[in-house]
Amino acid sequence: MTDLLDIRGLTLGFRGLNGYTEVLHGIDLSIARGERVALVGESGSGKSVTARIILGLLQETRTARVAGRVNFDGRDISSMRARPRAALRGTDMSMIFQDPTSSLNPTFTIGRQFAEVMRRREAGLSQKACEARATAMLEEVSIPDPARVLSAYPFQLSGGMNQRVMIAMALVNNPKLLLADEPGTALDVSVQAQTLTLMQDLVARHNTAVLLISHNLGVVREFADRVYVIYRGRIVETGPTAAIFDRPGHAYTRALMAAVPRITGAGLPEVPEVSDDFLAPMVTHPEAT
Amino acid sequence: MSSVFRILLRRLGISVIVLIGVSMLIFAIARVIPGDPARIALGPNATAEQVAAIRTEMHLDEPIVAQYGHFVTDVLRGDLGTSLYTNRPVTQDIVEFLPATLELVIFAGLLMVALGLPLGILAARHRARWPDHVVRVLTLLTVSAPSFVWAVILMLVFAFYLPLFPVAGRIDDSYEIARVTGFLTVDTLIAGRFDAFLDVLHHLVLPAVALALSGIGQAARLTRANMVETYDKPYIEMAQAYGFAPGRIARRYAFKPSLIPSLTIIGLDFAAMLGNAFLVEAVFAWPGLSRYGVAVILRKDLNAIMGTVLVIALTFLIINIIVDLLIAFLNPRIRHSTRAAT
Ligand SMILES: Nc1ncnc2c1ncn2[C@@H]1O[C@H](COP(=O)(O)OP(=O)(O)OP(=O)(O)O)[C@@H](O)[C@H]1O
Ligand SMILES: [Mg+2]
Repeated sequence: MTDLLDIRGLTLGFRGLNGYTEVLHGIDLSIARGERVALVGESGSGKSVTARIILGLLQETRTARVAGRVNFDGRDISSMRARPRAALRGTDMSMIFQDPTSSLNPTFTIGRQFAEVMRRREAGLSQKACEARATAMLEEVSIPDPARVLSAYPFQLSGGMNQRVMIAMALVNNPKLLLADEPGTALDVSVQAQTLTLMQDLVARHNTAVLLISHNLGVVREFADRVYVIYRGRIVETGPTAAIFDRPGHAYTRALMAAVPRITGAGLPEVPEVSDDFLAPMVTHPEAT
Repeated sequence: MSSVFRILLRRLGISVIVLIGVSMLIFAIARVIPGDPARIALGPNATAEQVAAIRTEMHLDEPIVAQYGHFVTDVLRGDLGTSLYTNRPVTQDIVEFLPATLELVIFAGLLMVALGLPLGILAARHRARWPDHVVRVLTLLTVSAPSFVWAVILMLVFAFYLPLFPVAGRIDDSYEIARVTGFLTVDTLIAGRFDAFLDVLHHLVLPAVALALSGIGQAARLTRANMVETYDKPYIEMAQAYGFAPGRIARRYAFKPSLIPSLTIIGLDFAAMLGNAFLVEAVFAWPGLSRYGVAVILRKDLNAIMGTVLVIALTFLIINIIVDLLIAFLNPRIRHSTRAAT
């Protein structure tokens, strides 16, 4: 069977006031069905834009130029029209964000937002059916009193609670791919760790493939089957998680690991200095079988 | 006690204080401007005794504090005194003239909301593209002239050169409509005269548009500005990531949260129309409270001035309370000021 997501030679540039700036310089990345893949790199390296291209959002931005092939579920989304591409979002792929509370609409109840999301999959879903599905999903993310949460507004819930709600919402339509852009880094460390365990548990049960975007190598090691290390718009190293952590082959990966804060989850690893070695060719570890 | 009820109580309390303040201020101003109201009312041929009699009747020879005391006791009994201009109780005059003004202002307010908000949404949704530029030019145009200038321009163009609309008045003289509420749109319907109803609307268009134009522009600009800010919020990105249609995102995700800050100002603009209506009514010979107000000020008709000012202040405060309640209704943070779950 082909991979769920297969990206070949992806480039991205922005037209701006001072001309054209290329941000991604030819990225290859693939995710198998049900696989958990991490994309790691420092700030500004191009992680979030990659996710936005997979969702098809940047293709609709006027200043962005996207080239290369993005195959999702056997279809080439880079050549798709805006409408069918939008039809994939919220159904076959979904996303969870950094700050759960500000990512939920402040003027709608959780229940209403759930209904909006579920009606992406089934337009005519009744209020009752939505409620039942949402309740079941909230129970799955161990929310003790789903009825109360459904009738609450995001500002009435804690960050950790909203985080669970967002994960439940992202998975309620049984997507094939979940994009998680630094989930919960806006929350405190213990909540962040809970989030990860919860996500791990759920995607395994739903057989959802995940692209986890993170600064945090500790998190990546715990969560991912496979890792891509990105540096300034290029993938510099890729392979199974264990192989990369045991035998990092690229100078940048080694620098990134050396910069990992000792206390898990605290802060962002800033690579101390820039070296010419970071621009060395990509290192690919053979698949472990 | 629900928080909406608390807001209502607080606003009512503030309103009473404002009304007392306004009444004191106008009471004093009306009395210090030169001219003897009794003399003006009776004319130059009245005898000194006649003038003195009226002055005593109106307590004009007492100290101003005592006069204000009389005024307040009367108001509390629902008595605004007699107008020296119309020789009728001021309350009766107000009941006669206020509905025409309210009808005009309400109609203009509806236009402001019905045109200004959608224009703002359109501009924000297509920001930095041509619909945004078109709306920007239009709104700049509307706010570039005060409403009485628009009244004159609209009247010249659409009533005079192109006789599409009537030049003046509220309704054609040939209609005989029984007065029930004083709102002709309502009274014509009560009378079952649909033709007359259409004629009333026809008369309303130009003055209402003239009164509303700058408000439409303001509402559109404000809506656009607040929406563009909202478009940068994470929940908009989330809505896009869930593939909601752009129109739905514009209305439910960008417009609704941004309406809350816009609404206060739109409400103030709406209330300000009460003042602008004075000039628009003058241009279109609209038989409303404003015309009455101008007439009584020129005659230093003290009771009528106080009555007019109080009624306009009251209307202003009522509009503000309605806006506050609307905001509370739209904003769940106010509506549910307790935490449901943590
Ligand atoms: N709309 C845009 N217009 C112009 N440049 C952009 C735009 N979006 C992103 N970029 C640029 O693309 C580069 C990659 O951005 P991206 O957001 O993917 O970084 P990131 O790896 O997610 O970083 P972080 O870890 O800080 O989130 C950055 O240099 C950024 O300035
Ligand atoms: Mg990012």
